[in-house]
Amino acid sequence: MATIKALVLYGFGLNCDHETKFALEQSGADAQRVHITDLISRQVSLNDYHLLALPGGFSWGDDHGAGVILGLRLKMALQDDLEEFIRAGKVIIGICNGFQVLVNMGLLPGLGGVYFQRQVALIHNDCGNFRDAWVHLRVRPTVCPFVKGIEQVELPVRHGEGKFYAPEEVVTALFQNKQVVLQYATPTGELAQGRFPANPNGSLRDIAGICDASGRILGLMPHPEAFISAFQHPTWTRDKETWRRQGLPYPAPAGAGLRIFQNAVEYLAANVASC
Amino acid sequence: MAARLEIMLRPELFDAAGESVRRQAREYFGLEFTRVRVIQILTFDTGMTPAELEAVRTEVFTNPVTQISSFRPLARHFDWAVWVGLRPGVRDNPGATGLEAVEAFLGRSLGPEAAIYTSTLYLFEGDGISRPEITKIAQELLANDIIQEFRLFAPDQWDPESGVGLILPQVRLDHQPTVTTLAIDSNETLQRLSQERNLALREQDIPIIRRYYLRSEVQARRRQLGLSLPTDVELEYIAQARSDHCNHNTFRGIFAYKDLGTGETATIKSLFKTCIEQPTLALAQEKPWVVSVLWDNAGVGAFDDDFNYVITGETHNSPSNMEAYGGSLTGIVGVYRDPLGTGRGAKLVAGLYGFCVGHRDYQGSLRPRLHPRRLLDGVIAGVKDGGNKSGIPTPLGFVHFHDSYLGKCLVFVVAVGLMPRLLQGTDASQKTTAPGDLIFMCGGRVGKDGIHGVTASSEEFGAHTPAGHVQIGDPYTQKKMHDFLLEARDQGYIAFITDCGGGGLSSAIGESARFAGGCEVWLDKVPLKYEGLDQWEIWISESQERMVTAVKPAHAPAFQALAAKHGVEVSNIGRYTDSGALHLLYQGQTCAYIELAFLEGDFPPWRFEAEWLPPALRGLTEPVLGEPQDHTSLLYRMLARPNICSREWIARQYDHEVQGSSVIKPLVGRGANIPTDGAVLRPRQESHRGLAVSMALHPSYGQIDTYHMTAASIDEAVRRLLAVGGSLDHIGGVDNFCWPSIQYDPVKNPDGKYKAAQLVRANQALQHYCLAYGIPLLSGKDSMYIDGHLPGDFQETHKVSGLATLLFTAISVIPDVARCLTLDCKEPGDYVYLIGTTKPELGGSELYDLFGYLGLQVPEVNPGEFLAYYKQVEAAIAAGLLASCHGVYRGGLAVHLALMAMAGDLGLEVDLAGVATSPLTALYSESAGRFLVTVAPQDCQRWETCMAGAPLRRLGRVRADRRFLVHWGEHLLIQTEVSDLLTVWQERFGNLI
Repeated sequence: MATIKALVLYGFGLNCDHETKFALEQSGADAQRVHITDLISRQVSLNDYHLLALPGGFSWGDDHGAGVILGLRLKMALQDDLEEFIRAGKVIIGICNGFQVLVNMGLLPGLGGVYFQRQVALIHNDCGNFRDAWVHLRVRPTVCPFVKGIEQVELPVRHGEGKFYAPEEVVTALFQNKQVVLQYATPTGELAQGRFPANPNGSLRDIAGICDASGRILGLMPHPEAFISAFQHPTWTRDKETWRRQGLPYPAPAGAGLRIFQNAVEYLAANVASC
Repeated sequence: MAARLEIMLRPELFDAAGESVRRQAREYFGLEFTRVRVIQILTFDTGMTPAELEAVRTEVFTNPVTQISSFRPLARHFDWAVWVGLRPGVRDNPGATGLEAVEAFLGRSLGPEAAIYTSTLYLFEGDGISRPEITKIAQELLANDIIQEFRLFAPDQWDPESGVGLILPQVRLDHQPTVTTLAIDSNETLQRLSQERNLALREQDIPIIRRYYLRSEVQARRRQLGLSLPTDVELEYIAQARSDHCNHNTFRGIFAYKDLGTGETATIKSLFKTCIEQPTLALAQEKPWVVSVLWDNAGVGAFDDDFNYVITGETHNSPSNMEAYGGSLTGIVGVYRDPLGTGRGAKLVAGLYGFCVGHRDYQGSLRPRLHPRRLLDGVIAGVKDGGNKSGIPTPLGFVHFHDSYLGKCLVFVVAVGLMPRLLQGTDASQKTTAPGDLIFMCGGRVGKDGIHGVTASSEEFGAHTPAGHVQIGDPYTQKKMHDFLLEARDQGYIAFITDCGGGGLSSAIGESARFAGGCEVWLDKVPLKYEGLDQWEIWISESQERMVTAVKPAHAPAFQALAAKHGVEVSNIGRYTDSGALHLLYQGQTCAYIELAFLEGDFPPWRFEAEWLPPALRGLTEPVLGEPQDHTSLLYRMLARPNICSREWIARQYDHEVQGSSVIKPLVGRGANIPTDGAVLRPRQESHRGLAVSMALHPSYGQIDTYHMTAASIDEAVRRLLAVGGSLDHIGGVDNFCWPSIQYDPVKNPDGKYKAAQLVRANQALQHYCLAYGIPLLSGKDSMYIDGHLPGDFQETHKVSGLATLLFTAISVIPDVARCLTLDCKEPGDYVYLIGTTKPELGGSELYDLFGYLGLQVPEVNPGEFLAYYKQVEAAIAAGLLASCHGVYRGGLAVHLALMAMAGDLGLEVDLAGVATSPLTALYSESAGRFLVTVAPQDCQRWETCMAGAPLRRLGRVRADRRFLVHWGEHLLIQTEVSDLLTVWQERFGNLI
């Protein structure tokens, strides 16, 4: 398999860069942390990579709307490079703060094929506070390669501004175009239907993650990089006990979030790495 | 021309921030509003053109999907409008990032004078709210007058053209920096100066300071440099360096201790040396994992072959008591700088917290500055922003309610870091400065922050005087600096690093200059927030988010270039020398020159009288308490107690999973809702090695005897580590003392001798039990004077002293996290065992407190007995024999059995006959040294063999249903459902998010 090169952005208050890099490495990618300054000043060329990861954090302190300032800076400095990157069929993942950046930059959802225009928003949680809790997610039928083979997944959310909001016609279009990738659900897999805490932030139609029309740009509020090992799950000691009673050592399997990164790497290997 | 931009959510959108205010107004004051909406205001003092302003409005500050905005007032319909803005000089984080954004957008700098000020306008809708009522909301909910001001508008006073007006909280000092010389011709003169300038010089230090200036060689050297009389820079510096905060005079003082019960007397020359340093150095000899202790900003222990961990703990009580949010934010962000400034720098991997506050529903007649409910909300939010925005997980913490903390709240913050063992081939825990090294100040700028907090708070506020004595931490600036400094470290640019904490540059540079043997500092090169600071203010200002580094001249250009990439300001403000002196200049003129040896010299130690009256002689007795008939209701009542019940709402506000390191989370069990015994992290994701941390404190036991309080806290912290998989071979401790004033004064502190004796006894226990358990004290701090004077019903004041409090934090290394376990019952049919002996030790217990008793018989710790079976428990966990493990702590067996059942969402059936002399004692005694475990039937034989000789008792079994049944032989004491237990345990704070 050709080497898939992944760029994980960091600096200016982003903070999930190390574990996002680790998750990509576990998925077989050659991942590098690149400072925002080096990307914007073109010390590092986006073109040299196949995957762009915008990790979680508090870029510029999230003071004027989460992800607003980083989105603005990337758009101003790199609009052409990003367009080229997308045209080349490469992939972008934005997690939490990175999702907020993609939305503010206008790379998501890109309805009507229009990028760099804000069409949806992620605003303050209805509960009025930052919240760290694990949520159940249901994957919708979608073209998004990141969630191939996944129907349901459990991941943590950790945010204060994750309520997905868009005008009704935009939400309808997202469903029609199969751009809604992840929805908050109950432990039994029913949709949360807006009910706290299954839907932790009041997102419209329980939307937790969306992609663009191509499916190659994914933004999500939950953190897949925070569940790449079973040890990260809140009740892993209970699973360990089940193994132990069968006289077996705990295998500490991979976490379900890893699949999302593996999917991206496999997709790129199959479709893009040669270009 | 300044401009005011107003931004608000589109009217059809739910305003979560406004709704929070509406909810709090109802909950706190019983005031009902139909709607509250929030307008964010940015006031630009930037010289932008109208076209630029409009571009910035639409492109930077307005989200077209959700917001509307205007340079004209947006407010239309309201019954009251309340504007809240920061006072001049208070750190405005969103203002600073807004300016960064605008400059980036425009592609040009707006100049050093440009500023953006942020403020908030709240629009209240609802009938019949009076001006006094809305004023109460403004004062007690929205604005804190020491950092903020507010303005009220009724609809008939509102000018729809000008709105709130243009308010620019600029700092304008109009002051020429001046060095003042001060004659100290007599002891009386210096004493008077000390009072006038609020230097707080100790009377006994005064002749020593004067003698220094009279020395002929000192005078000759000063003449050469153009100095004669002492300067204000020098005296302020000496006062800082001699302060209790910087010098720990209490812990280095001489205590004349007398036990009034036995008549025995003893003299303790230094609590620090006797009770902390000696045992720790002795243990460090035996334990090769102890890497660096007792000299640096934090202690260092070995993590694995390639990395060391770093730990320290701090408090930030007084500032949090004044401004809860800013105080605790500054506290947590501040303690993070300690590991960053340890050795050549450590990456932060965890922050822990502890809050001691008055009861949230306090309704007594004392009126603290901030009601405990508001104070707690504020300190929770400060740690939330400090931790979350720094990208550092907050995996553990606690809140402890007691009304003695109305006088002053306690805010504990603990930081854990990780550093490579070697950097450039040398030990990374070591650092030094050498003559010729350049002094760089990194991070924030300097203002009047934290200078003489006490005097500043009593000054009148003018329109443009900085309200800087209470600080707002800036996690964003510090996060950038953290990333930058770690890269600079890895490049080998950092020879020495330390943080600017208490004392600011004066202590950071003063201490680092000792290694090189001197320094020269150019105060005019220190970047300022605003002009007009005097030289002495620059030198001792405690402005936050700053570190001092020593950099070799050859590395300086690369160091500066790396800082620029990270958007971090660094300034070369001097160099280290071997002159033997600390030499400060301002624009080439010497303004201070002090020999390093002087401050290290022979200042006399402080002296304290300590008189101990044993509890029985103080009249403490056991209450005469008959056996309850309704044990089920009693358990409900206990579970609902503020110090027992669920406080999930706090833990959920803290990101405890960032960095991907979380292994045992703050909340565990099937529903992830029960507090863990200890937290476990895996700071290197590629490794299975873990770090376990735990915290314990027992101020209520200290009301009986602080000796046993300390012992119980150490024992509890150890059991908490063992319960999650920690190892007795490797336990490091951190002691954080918070004590009321111990200096006896017949009028102001009549029980000072007793409080001093409490401190001595706590330290003696620290020494005895750390040695017994083999716990070196990796780090520790003391915060004295946790007293407040609170007004009552008649404007009289009452001195309220916080209970003598010691937080003990412990850390352990776990070779393989697969060994970790949690407290939740796992499977029906498993056997429940109690390990340890339950004695009639209810003194200071939660049960006695429920009935209003203190009692006498406080839990005691017997390491000789306990350690033998602790080792067996550790071996059983390592062998994988246990399904769950939980220590028995505050609230006793009844409470902790309930927690295990709730965590597993499974019933329990146990028989406590024979556990203790009475059911009440068995259920609620808080005897130390106990664990509860559950064991699968097939493992019981091996487990019992493993525990041979230990005080082990099989209590009962885990049930398949959710019945919770406690028997006492023939009698069924408690029968209920686990779901009912959960309901009462969660109810009290269940509606808080």
